[in-house]
Amino acid sequence: MKFPGPLPIRAMFARKLTGRMIVWRIFPLLLIILVNATILRSQQLIDAPAADKQTLQLLLQRIDQLEARVKQLEAAKQQAAPVSLPSATAQSSAPPVSEAEPQADNAVPERMDSSKTLLRMRGFGDITLHGDNQRHDTTSFSLGQLNLFITSDISEKFKFLSEIVFEGGPDNIFGETRGENNTFGVDVERMVVQYSHSDFFKLAVGRYHTAIGYYNTAYHHSTWFQTTTGRPFLFQFEDRGGILPVHTVGASASGLIPSGHLGLHYVAEVGNGRASRSPITEEPVQNVVDDQNHKAFNLALFARPDAVRGLQVGFSAYRDLLAPASLPRIGETIFAAHAVLVRPKFEWLNEILLVRHAPNGIPRVFNTPGFYTQLSKQFGSYRPYFRYQYVNASSTEPIFPDVGLRQGPSFGLRYDASETVAVKLQYDYTALRGQPAVNALALQVGFTF
Amino acid sequence: MPRLAGLLFILASAVFSMAALSLALVPTLGRLPEPQITTEQNLAIVVSLSNPVENLSMAELRRIFLGERSHWPNGRRITLVMMEPGQPERAVVLRDICQMNETDFNNHFLHGVFTGEVLVSPKTLATPVGVRKFVFNVPGAIGYLRVSDLDSSVKAVRVDERGPEDKGYKLHVPPRSSK
Repeated sequence: MKFPGPLPIRAMFARKLTGRMIVWRIFPLLLIILVNATILRSQQLIDAPAADKQTLQLLLQRIDQLEARVKQLEAAKQQAAPVSLPSATAQSSAPPVSEAEPQADNAVPERMDSSKTLLRMRGFGDITLHGDNQRHDTTSFSLGQLNLFITSDISEKFKFLSEIVFEGGPDNIFGETRGENNTFGVDVERMVVQYSHSDFFKLAVGRYHTAIGYYNTAYHHSTWFQTTTGRPFLFQFEDRGGILPVHTVGASASGLIPSGHLGLHYVAEVGNGRASRSPITEEPVQNVVDDQNHKAFNLALFARPDAVRGLQVGFSAYRDLLAPASLPRIGETIFAAHAVLVRPKFEWLNEILLVRHAPNGIPRVFNTPGFYTQLSKQFGSYRPYFRYQYVNASSTEPIFPDVGLRQGPSFGLRYDASETVAVKLQYDYTALRGQPAVNALALQVGFTF
Repeated sequence: MPRLAGLLFILASAVFSMAALSLALVPTLGRLPEPQITTEQNLAIVVSLSNPVENLSMAELRRIFLGERSHWPNGRRITLVMMEPGQPERAVVLRDICQMNETDFNNHFLHGVFTGEVLVSPKTLATPVGVRKFVFNVPGAIGYLRVSDLDSSVKAVRVDERGPEDKGYKLHVPPRSSK
């Protein structure tokens, strides 16, 4: 097949000129047609009543024809499928539902509508300007976590939830650093499939935040939700020097305990627990392979009594067996208790923990106690806050020898610049055992989008 | 000295940004519109006709409207229906049942979905007719309507043993503004 080649410029010019001439010739003709059409239209308007009657008659006839056809089709359909659903007749007196409104969601509860987009996504992020008086630290702007929070209603009973976090900076695992200062990495921080049978029984499987204490499951990877610029040291993430198994891969059952106004809840978890076999700096969360057959267990109970709005009181007990290289097995037990009062304008968080490491065959037990208290009150868009935190690990602690004693207050002010943007200024004073105290100042913008 | 300068820079940035933002953005923050009470009507809590629930306490209502209860006793999932922000019916529910303003209510649900405690966010509908149709069609739905908007397609539940027609009923909504 031959395609016409490009036209020579002269030919194109000639065509253009001809086109212009045609337009000039056609223009008077168009004008005449327009004038005639206007005249004809005005004549039609004068004769409109007669024409309308005729049209109406025709339309009515057409409607009659169509109605007859619909009846004919309905009759044919009923002959083809004589069994009608009882609910159809029951709903015949119902008000009509527009297309935009949802239909009965429970009619076909477990069917996934593949024609719809099931994912819902929300983002969280923060940027911080911080500085402190530690040697070799510089005042820096830091990109925080960029968190893509994704949920999906798989069906009426099943739901998917995940947090995919892009995060800069090196990892810090029990004092050992890994990675570059200014590179970004991606972590799937949560990936959970939830089954909700009733308020009394919900089951989640995947990677989730362990229900140790309160903070870990109340605040995940978003600083915007948190009053302060960061988590208390006790609940710091594993790759940021934290001492708790914040994440676990496993299964978690939770629900209400019938207890009337007391509002008792339970959480029972079983998972891989934290990695303990060297080199521990590889990845503290055992996402794919557990380094031993023993599993970690956690049981939490808490109450949300009706009598005091916003109050939650509870405790949890976590048990795991760690197997570090060149050391005997270590029994890890973590007890946590909390009493928190959280209302929209007021917050008072109190948590106390005890991390207990008992190496097999050694009479010594290493206890690491810690607590924090956090108080804040909202005044308009401003929320001043105060936090005091304390953690005291032995210098011979076998799992986290770098922690030592850390304690001190934090003062800050959160300003909600809009419903989705918060600006926070925070001062931290941290006293350390055998080292100079650290004074730090941070200005953070946390947001959701 | 440079370290001190760094800290002063952070402080100055904080003061400047907060001052600038507070001057520019304070009026945009959501606040609960106070319903003007003149001649009140009762606000009925409505569920589907197939829902066996007849009575709810205020504490139960609060838990339901805050998403802390996700299932009815018969096992059906609760679907919460709210009217659009700015509607007096919604303002009454936020004030009297949830005890929150609009911003706090939105944050509560956002946080609840984030933690995984809240399964589904409320459905928002524009008109009482829409609420009525939704509640009729969705067996696990719960919403609210003025008594004058009720009809036989939905069921009004009692609140603390009192129906919306009873004396001492707790939920009242101001009359619709005539625009």
